[in-house]
Amino acid sequence: MTAHDKFSLEEKLRSVIETVDVANALIEPLTRSIENLLYISAGQMNSEEASVLIRDGSHGDLRFISAIGKVAHQLIDITVPAGKGVAGFVFSSGQPMVIADAGEEDSFYAEVDKQTGYSTQTLLATPLRHKGEVIGVLEYVNRIGDPPYESFTADEMDEAAVFAEAISSLVNAYESAKLFHDFTDQMLTADETTDFADVRKWLDELRSTSEHKEILDLAILVRELASRGEEERKMCRKVLESILEFADGKANTNYLSY
Amino acid sequence: MTEVSAYESNEYSSITTYFQIDESWKLRTGKGVEVAIIDSGIDADHPALLGKVKESVVARRQEKKVVFEPSDDGDSAGHGTACASIISRIAPDAEFYSIKVLGSGGSGDGQAFLAGLEYAIKKRYRIINLSLGTTRPQLFAPLHDLLDRAYQAGCIVVAAANNLPHPSFPSVFSSSLISVSKDDSTDPFDFGFRYGEVIELTAPGVNIKTAWLNKSYKQLTGNSFACPHIVGIIALLLETYPGLTPFHVKSALYAIAEENQKAKVKDAADQSDDNNETS
Repeated sequence: MTAHDKFSLEEKLRSVIETVDVANALIEPLTRSIENLLYISAGQMNSEEASVLIRDGSHGDLRFISAIGKVAHQLIDITVPAGKGVAGFVFSSGQPMVIADAGEEDSFYAEVDKQTGYSTQTLLATPLRHKGEVIGVLEYVNRIGDPPYESFTADEMDEAAVFAEAISSLVNAYESAKLFHDFTDQMLTADETTDFADVRKWLDELRSTSEHKEILDLAILVRELASRGEEERKMCRKVLESILEFADGKANTNYLSY
Repeated sequence: MTEVSAYESNEYSSITTYFQIDESWKLRTGKGVEVAIIDSGIDADHPALLGKVKESVVARRQEKKVVFEPSDDGDSAGHGTACASIISRIAPDAEFYSIKVLGSGGSGDGQAFLAGLEYAIKKRYRIINLSLGTTRPQLFAPLHDLLDRAYQAGCIVVAAANNLPHPSFPSVFSSSLISVSKDDSTDPFDFGFRYGEVIELTAPGVNIKTAWLNKSYKQLTGNSFACPHIVGIIALLLETYPGLTPFHVKSALYAIAEENQKAKVKDAADQSDDNNETS
C-alpha cells in the first residue's frame, strides 16, 4: 500500500466513521419514535399489543424490533422464519390481512405464544413498504379489555395502512442507521490477529481526537434541537444555512483574492 | 336471461348484444375448469379440498433461473389453502393447480412470482388466482408483458387489489385482467362492478370462513379473499360457456353485476312502497 493509498483510505474511513457515530446517536431516538407511534396507533385501533417486524437477512426471515403491550420485552429479537405465520405471509406477499381467530392451529403463533405465555386471538398484519419494497410488517394483536375479542374491521385495515406508511419511514431510517452501527461493531470487535487490528487501533485513535468529538457533539445538538418542535427545526435550519452561506462566501472571497 | 352487451355504454354509443346468458350457470359446479392458484401452496389433505388439488408445484431457484418441481410440501402459510377453499365453496368441482411461489424464498423475490405466472400461462390454465401483488416499480413492465400474454393465451387472470395507499401490480392493469377488492357483502353471487374505477369488481372479503393450516378453519378479512370469490363465479360461467374469452368473461361479469344492482334498486323501491303502505 502506498502512502497515497493509505491517505485516501484514511480519509474515506474517517468520513464513514463520523457518519457511523452520528447513526449511533440517532438509532436510539428512532426506536423510541417507532414505539411512540405504536402506542398512538394501538390506542386508535383499540388494540392491546402492537409490534413491528423487520426483515432479517435476505431469506425472508423477520425479527421483532419494537413492540408494546404485556409481553413486549419477550418479543424483541424473536425471529420469524421465512413465510411462517400471518406476518411471514404478509411480508412475502405484500397483502395485508386480518385473522379473527388466530391460535393453536397456526404453528408459528402457537410457538410464540408458548414462549411468551400470551394468547394471540385476533390479529391484523399489514406490510411496511419503502420505495415499493416490503421492508417489514406492522401487527396489531387482540383488543383492549377482556376476551372474547372482536375481529379487526375492514376500516381498521385501511387505518393501519396509514400508520404503516408513517412507521415505514422510521423503520427505513432505523435500518440505515443499524447498518452503520453493525459495520463499526464488526470493525471494533474484529480479532486482534486479523488485518482489522490496524484499522481498529486507528479507529480508537480517531475517536479520541477532539475534531471527531466535536462533530459528534454537533450532530447530537442538532438532533436535540430538531426533536423540540417545528419552530426550533426551522430556526436551526436557518442558522445552519446562514453559517454555510457565510462559509461559502468566505471561501469565494479567498478564491477571488487569490 | 342476462344480456351481455357492449361493455362500455353511454347515451352516445349503440349497444350491441354479444351473447345471452341464462341463470343456469348459477347451478353449475365448475366441473372440469382448471384453476391455478399462485400462492403459498395448498394443503391437499384438508377435508375441504380432498381430491380437488390435481397438481402441486413449487418454485426452486436453480442458479439464475426459477424452475418448478412437483411438490408435496403443502401450504407454508395457510393463505393458498384459504383461497382454494373459497373457490371450492362456489365451484366444488373445479380442479386446482397449486403453484407455490411464497414461503421458502422470502420476500422481494419477485422473480418467483413472475416465473409462477409465466408457468401458469404456459400451461394455459383457464383461470389464474393471484391473491398477491407487488408495488416494486421494476416489476411493472415484466408483469404487464406477462398479463398481455395471458390475455392472448385465453387465461383469465383474477388479481386482488391491496388496500394500501400505493397501487399494486398487477391489480391496476385493468385492461388485461380482472381486479377485485373486498366489500362486506356475504352473497358471492351478488358481486359488484365499478365501471371506470381502477379496481373494477367488488366481492365478499370481510370475515370470510376459510380452510387453514392443520385442517382447521379461520375467519379472514382482506382483498385476498375477495379475489377467489370472483374466481369461483368465473369457474361456473366457464363450465356453462366453455368458449368464453377473457373479454367475454369481463363483459359477462359486468352484465351480471348490473342485474344485481338493478335488483337491489328494485328491492329498495319495493321496500319503500311497503313502508309507505304500512304507514
